[in-house]
Amino acid sequence: MSAAPPDAIDWAKGMDLMAGPYFVGLYQPSPETAGFWDGVKQQELRLKHCARCMRFFHPKRIVCTDCGTTDLRFRAVEGHGSVYSFSEIHRAPAPEFVASIPYTVGVVQLNEGVCLFTRFVADPGPIRIGAPASVAFRKLEQGTLMPIFSVHAA
Amino acid sequence: METNIGSRIAVVGIGRALAWRSDSERKTPLQLGAAAAVEALRDAGIKRGQVGALFTGRTPQAYMVLQYNQALLNELKIGPTFNTEVTAHGGGALGTLQLAAVALHAGVIDYALCVTNEASGIWMDQVTSNAAWEGDLQFEAPYGASTPALYAQFASRYMHEYGVTPSMCAKVSVENRNWALHHPHAAMRAKGPITVADVLASRMIATPLRLLDCAVWYPGGIATAMVLTRADIAKSAHRRASWIAGFGQCSTHEWVGERMNSWGYEPIQNGPDLVHTGAGVAARQAYAMSGLKPADIDLVQSSAPFSFANLMMLEELGFCAPGEGGRFAESGGIDFAGGLPFNTMGGYLSFGQVAQGLYNLHETIQQVWHEAEGFQVPDARVGMVHGHGGPMACHSVMIVSREQLR
Repeated sequence: MSAAPPDAIDWAKGMDLMAGPYFVGLYQPSPETAGFWDGVKQQELRLKHCARCMRFFHPKRIVCTDCGTTDLRFRAVEGHGSVYSFSEIHRAPAPEFVASIPYTVGVVQLNEGVCLFTRFVADPGPIRIGAPASVAFRKLEQGTLMPIFSVHAA
Repeated sequence: METNIGSRIAVVGIGRALAWRSDSERKTPLQLGAAAAVEALRDAGIKRGQVGALFTGRTPQAYMVLQYNQALLNELKIGPTFNTEVTAHGGGALGTLQLAAVALHAGVIDYALCVTNEASGIWMDQVTSNAAWEGDLQFEAPYGASTPALYAQFASRYMHEYGVTPSMCAKVSVENRNWALHHPHAAMRAKGPITVADVLASRMIATPLRLLDCAVWYPGGIATAMVLTRADIAKSAHRRASWIAGFGQCSTHEWVGERMNSWGYEPIQNGPDLVHTGAGVAARQAYAMSGLKPADIDLVQSSAPFSFANLMMLEELGFCAPGEGGRFAESGGIDFAGGLPFNTMGGYLSFGQVAQGLYNLHETIQQVWHEAEGFQVPDARVGMVHGHGGPMACHSVMIVSREQLR
């Protein structure tokens, strides 16, 4: 939206508000996840890990849900798991994704017990609950390299 | 839980301001909120100087200031001694009354004013902006997750685990529409009735959700305001009251992906799933507080924004067994003619969804006062309202009654 000079605006009608296009898919790592994104650059999937509880966590976790330590470290995992849930999208949330329709997003349950929201691609599929999946890395619509999951035949 | 708050607090005044995108003047949330608040104070017969507490829902999407409660009190020229926004997404709307009830019961104030207001349907492209608000910007949004696709994760599991079919879900859309046909302000009123076949033939949005399985964004804005007070004041100084028989609230997560990494508290004590929500926890709390059971409820409103989610809520709120929502609806359980009166304005699917609000409670209070704007449920005495927000994340439940029950 180009900025109109103030005297050209009919303030009785106001101005449309915008939020979405600035935010959808904005790539914004934070300090506690920087190690995850470093891994992605090297095409390596990393999860947070508590060495005391020997438990893996979502890459965003700051404290161990079991023992409470903040000493969680990133550990590389193989990236194997299965489709926990999914949805094939037919209406895109933002213009950048229109050309990709239909595409499938969902939740993958990794063998380490951690679930990640992700993009599923059939390889060869079909994409359905319980199907085996493994990590791959792909530059998505907004130019960000992301971990996605290839879904294999059951 | 140990409390005797049930039926000790009453709503003694209500107000609502409503505007459509197509109106000649475009209204802001603050314009609507102020108008609704003034109407509620007038309805209660109290002056602005008597307002002891102001609780607003979260800041309107179409009026992004820090601390919207401050903007509103500044406009109303009131001096509350207790005031804040109550968030928890859409669950925070009923949360304003819950906080008001607690403050009134504690005796630190005599009157509370609760206000929710939103006009994103006038000022924003909600399809795009909502996707930005409901998804995790770092771990979900880059995958192109639309709002329906986030909820569809729950839908896929729910239908998979319980054998719920698309036509069972479609029954919700059909019956919500039947109620909306009677309501003067329902977004889809003019569209006429729909059938299960219409729903199943509507275009796919995000599997398994088709267009008519989804909430419609309200093409405008609504503000709702309520004045609450204690039982002794309600009975001595007010001509009518709607009693807060019981309430509950439970929030479980913020993002869908994170939900599946959560455990150790109800309702996911032993591990996560996508078929149980905080609504069940909140409903049990509300029933216990009120001393009522599902069979005592004359009408129910849910702000579930998709057809399948309404079936889940019928289970969570206790109107059928877990996993039986689909079969309950299919066998006539929520039929406009003869079923449980459910979403009597038309629900989020046919009345429409204002990003957040107390308009479902407003409708319920009018129903138990026998002043419904749409179809009046005959002899309605007890109503339940379920407020939901975030992707199945935050849930509030409130039971209101025509008479003081305890």
